[in-house]
Amino acid sequence: MASVENKSASAVFDLSIMEMSALFAEKNLSPVEVANACLSRIGEINPKIHAFITVTADTAMAAAKASEARHLKGNALGPFDGIPFALKDNVETRGIRSTSHSKLLIDNVPAQDAHVAAKLSGAGGVLIGKTATFEFALGGPSWDLPFPPALNPWSLKHLPGGSSSGSGAAVAARLVPAAIGTDTGGSVRWPAAVCGIAGLKPTYGRISRRGVHPNTFSHDHCGPLTRTVADCAVMLGVSAGYDPFDPGSIDEPVPDYRAALTGSVAGLRIGLVTNWYRDDATTEVTAAVDAAIMVLKDLGARVEEIKLSPLSNYIDAKTTISLSELYAIHEKDLKERPEDFGYLLRTRVMAGGLIRAEDYVQAMRWRTELATEMMAEFRNFDVLATAGWLTPAEPADPDGVDFFKKRQVVTMPFSLAGIPALSVPCGFSPGGLPLAFQIASRPFDEATVLKAGDAYQRATDWHTRKPPIT
Amino acid sequence: MTRKSASREDIAVLARVAGLDFSPKHFDELVEAYRNIEPMLWRLRQGRSRADEPAHTYDPRKFMPKG
Repeated sequence: MASVENKSASAVFDLSIMEMSALFAEKNLSPVEVANACLSRIGEINPKIHAFITVTADTAMAAAKASEARHLKGNALGPFDGIPFALKDNVETRGIRSTSHSKLLIDNVPAQDAHVAAKLSGAGGVLIGKTATFEFALGGPSWDLPFPPALNPWSLKHLPGGSSSGSGAAVAARLVPAAIGTDTGGSVRWPAAVCGIAGLKPTYGRISRRGVHPNTFSHDHCGPLTRTVADCAVMLGVSAGYDPFDPGSIDEPVPDYRAALTGSVAGLRIGLVTNWYRDDATTEVTAAVDAAIMVLKDLGARVEEIKLSPLSNYIDAKTTISLSELYAIHEKDLKERPEDFGYLLRTRVMAGGLIRAEDYVQAMRWRTELATEMMAEFRNFDVLATAGWLTPAEPADPDGVDFFKKRQVVTMPFSLAGIPALSVPCGFSPGGLPLAFQIASRPFDEATVLKAGDAYQRATDWHTRKPPIT
Repeated sequence: MTRKSASREDIAVLARVAGLDFSPKHFDELVEAYRNIEPMLWRLRQGRSRADEPAHTYDPRKFMPKG
């Protein structure tokens, strides 16, 4: 098989999953050489951005060699065979330390793969390593944990969002072309938005959560982070599917998401939820989102501005549910070893201990009301759109913002509703930091958000820009 | 309606009921954390009609033996 030396290293790192897969199939590129190149690049860049907690070089090389053998025999398993990927460290991996970025699990070496890890490896993916996260996908960014917080490849003085911070940073820095994150209130879409990549939170129940450390059972999702929307479609296709051992998993057929990428949004009805960003976003975010919607309009979409309940309603309901479930998960450790928590996670968990059972139920009733209001909009619209995040990346300041007190989180409404939501890059701040918009659709209609995001990317080039660290 | 924030003594009672026996440092953290969530809980405690269902569903088929 041809080697990376036939291509410049940077050209290899710029390849999308589909381009890489085609080159593997043509025997013009070797999965072994690509895995080697990724590992070498991680060695060079990771000390600056701390995206990876654990690098799995030996298992990666074994998987890459097996993939190469399949490609040489013409027995490739599909478009993900030989593709290097990363997993957030709250996703359990057999024989590989899985810490959730916490001292509480510093020695945790699982005996089994999480369902999503097994699906990706079973599709021939090459696991390169485990990425940084906020502690248990909630407490962060923190500087008092066993590993440093990840930094943003676009500016080492800024954060890559969270909680899938390392996954976002690793993909943006072109250490790997694909990573899995988890999203309970926005933890795939926030890092995607501020790192300038695509991130998809699928429908609740679309990807199994079995083997993923829980944050909030009723809201936890896994989702892909990739440089392009089309690559999100590939990664969703291989990671989605019913798992009878996950009580939240839903038995719905997995369509061919790539087939949905027609490049056309002609006639697509978009409900633009303006009150979620025009009141609270920075001016650069508002301008970038409005410009992105104009692009979709020029491509033939029909756009109507709408208003839904204020963001604070979704945040109050979701936070009450989350803190209650979080306490149930961590109560024993909080009582027995509180010092082993980072400060931010500890304060969130302990607050959950004071929430009354009736408040939890009231929050779940509010969830019904808010989700019902949102779903009603799908009588009139195919997708809802709004900002991806309300600001550019936040500064990496240990004494900076405590996101517990930051009230406006534009990703939360779609988390609470459990519907598919995609973050797509749509510009840059004057300081050179990425900006993004979100598109959401009906339950299990990931195909429509992917189609819209892909059509936007065919008409724009924001996703092709590279951070200075590359 | 004017609402009164819970005092440290009130929070100490809530913590005791929850079985939380913290060091003074961690109790201070708890007081600060509760100050953040208390307004959220006030907003949550709105009147609802009797039949409003929570977003729980229970599908007994999910818990049948597998295989």
